[in-house]
Amino acid sequence: MNININNLHFTYPTGLEALKGVSLTINAGEQVAIVGQNGAGKTTLVRHFNGLLKPTSGSVTIGDWDTTKYSVAKLASRVGYVFQNPDEQLFSRDVLTEVEFGPKNLGYTKEKIDELVKQALVWTELTDKTETNPYDLSPTWRKMVALASIIAMDTPIVIFDEPTTGQDFANVSRIANVIAELKKQGKTVITITHDIDFCAENFERVIALSNGQVLLDGTTREVLGQEEILAQTYVDPPQLTRLGKLLNLKETVINQQEFLKAIK
Amino acid sequence: MHERLSFYIKRDSVIHRLNPLTKLVLVFAFIGVAFTFPWYWMSLSLFLFVLIPLAFVAKVSREYFFTATRLILPAAGFLFLMQALFQPIGEEIIFQFYFLDATRESLAFAFTIAARIIVMISAFTLLLLTTHPSELMSDLTRRGLPGQFAYVIISTLQILPQMQAKAQTIIAAQRSRGLDTESTFLKRAGSVLPLVGPLVFGSLVEVEERAIAIEARGFTSKKEKTSLHEVPDTVTDKTIRWVLIILIILSISLNLWL
Repeated sequence: MNININNLHFTYPTGLEALKGVSLTINAGEQVAIVGQNGAGKTTLVRHFNGLLKPTSGSVTIGDWDTTKYSVAKLASRVGYVFQNPDEQLFSRDVLTEVEFGPKNLGYTKEKIDELVKQALVWTELTDKTETNPYDLSPTWRKMVALASIIAMDTPIVIFDEPTTGQDFANVSRIANVIAELKKQGKTVITITHDIDFCAENFERVIALSNGQVLLDGTTREVLGQEEILAQTYVDPPQLTRLGKLLNLKETVINQQEFLKAIK
Repeated sequence: MHERLSFYIKRDSVIHRLNPLTKLVLVFAFIGVAFTFPWYWMSLSLFLFVLIPLAFVAKVSREYFFTATRLILPAAGFLFLMQALFQPIGEEIIFQFYFLDATRESLAFAFTIAARIIVMISAFTLLLLTTHPSELMSDLTRRGLPGQFAYVIISTLQILPQMQAKAQTIIAAQRSRGLDTESTFLKRAGSVLPLVGPLVFGSLVEVEERAIAIEARGFTSKKEKTSLHEVPDTVTDKTIRWVLIILIILSISLNLWL
């Protein structure tokens, strides 16, 4: 299911113009990271994908649905959105009920719900915690519950808002695994992130936003290679990429394997 | 995100630049005069000829009228109706509503009460719109108000906008999970728990975290505290305050004397 964004403008009621003409196409099955400084419009942009915000002008279509014509609850069947702070969405007495909430809202059959919930719990490594109250879990595990509760909705498009902020290494790898599993299933994953290493290792396409406009859009290698332009939106390429530049390596390297291969 | 954490509107005006205490005294002057001055039309005149022009001077007229029409006037209107119908005074019946009658006297009484309430809430609204809560509190604590007391006031002033902002995010998060908050009444009623749960729990957690945070900065320390942020207090401020205090005393004396 493709996402088509056509000359999108958005102005908040306070008068702040957060998006100034964004046009993008995100194809089905793509793994896209959105980077950019605070206030660049990242969250504003992705909130248009599930209809939480409606364009001031321009349009956003998810498959054949124009987001202005469908409610957020309807669009939830196509776009899953994991919020930054899990505490803003968890309310159930135990993890299992929490994860079931989304798929139940979408009206799936009992069998399908059970299957989806089970799979989401396996991916997020929560199978032994189904009866725990989410609030008794540590913040990192609460994050996984929030993740599971959206993945279980089985939407063709999944959005993560800053998934790795405040997470330890183990949990970042868990999140990376979840993204890899979603990719295997052919789902579109869109992630807002400030964690540029995470971005380099897990995404094939990077969109850099600055000041409500698209600054760079291309493969991860192309975008992370443009150090000077990225600096405009206060994004530093990964350390290895910068080291590679300093060593005058011919190609832009974005991860360890590439770096090791290049210096051999 | 663009959440407002208080009613404060950041603009530059004469009113904004006044010392917070001066504005607080101004509010009490409005209330004092409206409640004691022995002239029937005083409250209404204050509202029409002083408060509204002040809102323009303060460059917050749009926000002020928004609050007035959404909050102040409905509240005053309700109060007026209740007082007019339920006050058992007067003889001359103006109109009847089943067994309830509104008399000339009860209408007059209701009008006075409603007008006073309008002045009172309007004056406070003006203060809140033009004064940053932390500025008000740092000025008052510098003058000797106990910190704990200031904390209670400031958190009360901030809790509504904060909870509102939090509720907005929670609603957005649950709608993204397919929660229907827009259709039939039954569905809406069913959607209360997922919204209220995180709101209440989150607010409690926030209160605790805030308590720890301010304690970590020596909140209950007995040592005298200095303030990084100096709130200016000019001669004009002092003069205005004295004039206002004299006005209040004058109004009260007139009330007692007449």
